[in-house]
This record gives sequence, structure tokens and C-alpha cells, in this order.
Amino acid sequence: MLGMTMKKKFSLMVLMVTVILVPAQVLFAAVGCDLNDPDRDVARLFPGSTGYKTNYVSVDQRGGPALLAQVEDRLGDKFQGLFETIDVPYTLYEIFKGKEKIGYIHGVNEKGQYGGIQVFLVLDLDGVIKNFYFQKLTSRYGKELRDPKFGEQFVGLTLKDFYNYDILTGKAIGPSGVERIKNPVPEAEPDFKAALRGTKKNLILVDEFILGNKYLQYHKAVGEQKK
Amino acid sequence: MIKIFNVAYKNLLRKKARSGLTIIGIALAAWVLVSLLGFNKGYESSLSRDIDNLGFQMIVTAKGCPYEAATLMLKGGTGLRYMPENITEQISKEPEVEEVTAMLMQAVFDPNKGESGGYSAYLGVDPATFPKMKSFLEFKQGNWFTNPDAMEAVLGYEAAELEQREVGDKLLIVEKNVEVKVVGILKRTGTQDDGTIFLPLKTVQKIFGIKDELTGIGIKVKKDANMAQFEEKMYKLPDVQVVSLAQVKQTIMTLVSTAKVMVFSIALIAILISVVGVINTILMSVMERLQEIGILKSMGATAWDIFKLIWLETLILCISGGIIGAALAMATAKLTEVLIRQLLPYAPSGGLVQITLPLVILTFGVVILIGLLSGVYPSWKAGRVRPLEAIRSQVE
Repeated sequence: MLGMTMKKKFSLMVLMVTVILVPAQVLFAAVGCDLNDPDRDVARLFPGSTGYKTNYVSVDQRGGPALLAQVEDRLGDKFQGLFETIDVPYTLYEIFKGKEKIGYIHGVNEKGQYGGIQVFLVLDLDGVIKNFYFQKLTSRYGKELRDPKFGEQFVGLTLKDFYNYDILTGKAIGPSGVERIKNPVPEAEPDFKAALRGTKKNLILVDEFILGNKYLQYHKAVGEQKK
Repeated sequence: MIKIFNVAYKNLLRKKARSGLTIIGIALAAWVLVSLLGFNKGYESSLSRDIDNLGFQMIVTAKGCPYEAATLMLKGGTGLRYMPENITEQISKEPEVEEVTAMLMQAVFDPNKGESGGYSAYLGVDPATFPKMKSFLEFKQGNWFTNPDAMEAVLGYEAAELEQREVGDKLLIVEKNVEVKVVGILKRTGTQDDGTIFLPLKTVQKIFGIKDELTGIGIKVKKDANMAQFEEKMYKLPDVQVVSLAQVKQTIMTLVSTAKVMVFSIALIAILISVVGVINTILMSVMERLQEIGILKSMGATAWDIFKLIWLETLILCISGGIIGAALAMATAKLTEVLIRQLLPYAPSGGLVQITLPLVILTFGVVILIGLLSGVYPSWKAGRVRPLEAIRSQVE
């Protein structure tokens, strides 16, 4: 009897050491996209919220190369460069009102024309965009792109709308709510496209990580249409 | 001896829970001790490495505010003070100096950084001297600037990650509306260089309209030079402030030593508690076995035989605890490091906890010494047991 208890204790100790040591080893991995001041930013971006829970998740951790291939397929583009890698830890904020979960906030890094762009989306429980926020944007046209009017164009859209948007060409390939998003400055086209790519990637990751691939059916439907 | 060992070992197994808990107590004390000694060694060597990795042992800045980073955080580019560029020549003539490198830091306000804007800093460095001084820097992509006044930038790894830049990309200096081309991305170093955007000194002077002025000079001193004497010389230069990195290291070590004294006191308490725990366990075991010891003595066992037996039990407990504690310290070194990093106001890069073989052997020696000392009294008491009294007392 005592032997059994000791075995259980030993197993528990091994589990604890593993759980504790693994995150310590990934400290120097790729860097994700966090809110600068979560306490302040969550309250501002999600009015009515009373609290939040922070979760870290990566494509590598959730499904490895197979998941990466699926995300890239849904995105219609490959992950590129030194920093858009499989091990980027994404920070998902679950938003609460009291004990009730009311939505999510999630950000991604995107490569802009002159610097990094951080695209944050505020989503309800169904993955509908409630708010759009550039936390960081290095651009000659930062003022116009960060204008609340630009962000308002994203409100109400879901991942379904973005499936008919080809991020490589920057054009709609079917009826899509994305068509209504207008670039405020024609010269800012590269950053505008980067913002749309970041938004689509953001929505796909939330669908994969949290919504249980609720919107995957629409991606398949678009694929069928193409055939 | 093997027979005594077997008897001692079996005696401990008779009360598994009690022996186990005592071993855990010793293991925890050994864990704390190994981790602390490892921290003591690791912190100092990491700090020295960080300071060596700066490439220079002394920084000369304009008088007023020697801490450029702090100034930038508080005031942005406006708070920076400058000194004339020709001081570089003056300093390089000193016999103690091996090399000097001129630096000019500038910052611009970027309204599109965060909710209410933020500063982006650029460090202008001399392409002829800076890379030589920082010869340990390695490139992930590209290389240093192609010429001394090129509109080019080299980014530390974290700066490149934040800006999502790679070699060939453009980088915008927002307030000045100037584009520079990224020609190099450095590998991660774990130092402040990771977050720095380097530009050629002349380029920074041109972009920001600052002619023949600097914010800092890095000085590499010859190995045989008298640092104190050299520092005195530098203090005599007009309108400059001297920051010796040896002083910085000394100040940090003094600050950390205060914390170390506190933590070592806690370790000492943990060791004392484990000593008391061992004495208690063995003494209880002796008291419970008085009759048994009496019988052993009546059968011819000497006081020294009983003493050895009990002492061996103590040693087995301590050695087992020591092995587990040392293993635990090695296995959780990374975790300890993470915790220490969160607690300390400043922690250098690299391994903060360095557990080496000599350190483990030292701890092991301490644990065995604890075992030998804490086993003396119970063993002596057991050895003094009078056989007939012991047998009779328990029968009654």
C-alpha cells in the first residue's frame, strides 16, 4: 500500500518537474504579441469587462507542422521570414464580465512596409470582430490608418468574410464583407494589405485555438467553388 | 561493516514514513544550499560576462546625465547632453587606452507606438572602431555598414523582431521621415544590444542635425593599465562624466550581497531545522528500540558497536537526502533562475545558477558533516544503554 503511494508521489513529482522545466526551456524562443498594458487596454478595448485570463499558445504546441500547413492553407499564404515561425507564442486574452466569459482579445505581429505592425482584434464569443486596434504601426501614414474610422470598417466581420479575400493579390474573389474596407491613403497600400493579412491570420488562429474550427466549413466551401 | 550497514538500512525501513520525511527535510536543505551556492557563482560570472561583453571598461559621457537610457525613458531625445567629438582624439592619446569608440544616441517620438506613443532610440556608432570592440557580436543575417555615412541600419535581434525587419527591408525613422536600409540582423546576445538599432555615427549626426557632437565614448583600457589612475585622469577632462564599469559591477555586487546574506540566513535556518529533524528521528528510533538494544548488548555487542549502528543510520539518511537534494537542485536550476530573475531588480543575462561538480561535492560534504554531528548524541545515548534496565523498562 505504502509502495503504491510512493509510486504515485514519484509520478506527481516527475509531472511537476516536467511542467515547470519545459516552459523554462522555451524562454528564449520567438516572441509573441502582448498588450502593452493589459489591465488598462482590456478595459478600454472591451468596455463592460471586469477581468481577463491570459493564455499562451503556439502552432507548434497545438499541432506542429500539420497545423501550420492547415493555417497556411486557410490563410492562402506561407508563414514567412525570420520571425513568422511555427513557435511564435500567441497571447490570447479571455475576457470576463464577473464569472461569465464575454469574448476574446488576440494580437498578431505582421510585417509592414517600414516596420512591425501589431494587429489586435476584439472578438465576441462567436468570433465576430467588435473592435480593431493597431497597437504598433510604423508607417508614413500611421495617423490615417490608426484613425478610429479605419478600424470601424472591420466591426461586424468574421473569418467567413475573409475567405473571399485573396491576401496575395489584395482582391476579393467573391462576395465578401472585406470589400467594404477602404484604404484611407492609396500610398499606404503595403501597410493596408499587411493589416488585412494580419486580421485574417489573427481570425484563423483564434478559430484554431479557441473556436474549435467553427469557420473551417466556409474555407472548404470557398475551395469547392474554386474547383 | 556490510552486515552493520544491512542492519542499519533495515532499521530505517521499519519506519518508512518517518525515514522518508527526514530524508525529504535533508533533501530540501541540500537543495537550497546547492541552489544558493550555484547562484552565488553564476550571478558573479554572468555579471562579469555582461560587462565584458560591452566591449569597453569605461564610458565617458557629457556631464549632467550619464545614463542615456534613463534620460531617454524620462525625457526622450530632448534630455540628452552632448560633448564635442574631438574629446575622442584626446582620450585615445592616453597611454592606458587600447581603443576608443564614439557613440551618439538619439530618440524620436513615434505617436503610433502603443496607446499614447513611445520613443524609438537609435545608436550612432563608428563603423571603424565599434565592430572591432564588439567582436563577439555575430550576425543572423547580413553584416555591418557598407560605408561610414551609409543610410543603413543594423538591428539587434529583439529590435528586428519588434520591427519585423530582415536584411534588405526599409526602416522608417518616423519623426525625421527618413528611410534607412536594413543591412544586418544580429544574433541574440542576451544583452542590451538585442534591443538596439545601430546606425553609422555620421548618418545619425546628419539625420538629426548634430554636428561634431557625441553622447558617449566607450574606452577599452590596456590590460596592464592602472584603472584607478586612468579614471582620475578622465575626471580631469572638462564637462564629462566617467562611468567605470568596474564601479558599476562593484555597486551591483554590493546590492546583491545584501540579498544574498538574507537568503544564506534562510538556508542556515533550513539546515538547522533539518539537523534537529535528524536528531529527533534517530533519538525516537533509539527510544523505541531500547529493549532491542538491551538484548544486543546482553548478547555481546559493545557500546561502540551500537554507536556505529546508530551513527550509520544517521549517515544513510543524510547521504540519501544529500543525493536527492543535489539532483533536485540540478533539475530545477532553470526554474530557480526564473524565480530569481523575477525577484531581483537587475539580473545579468546568461546562467544565473551555475551548479558545478565541486559545488555538489562541497554540499555533499556539508550534508555528511551534518549527519555525523547530528548522529553523535543519539548514538552516544544508545551506546550507553544498560542491557538489563533497558529490557526490564519495556517489559514493565
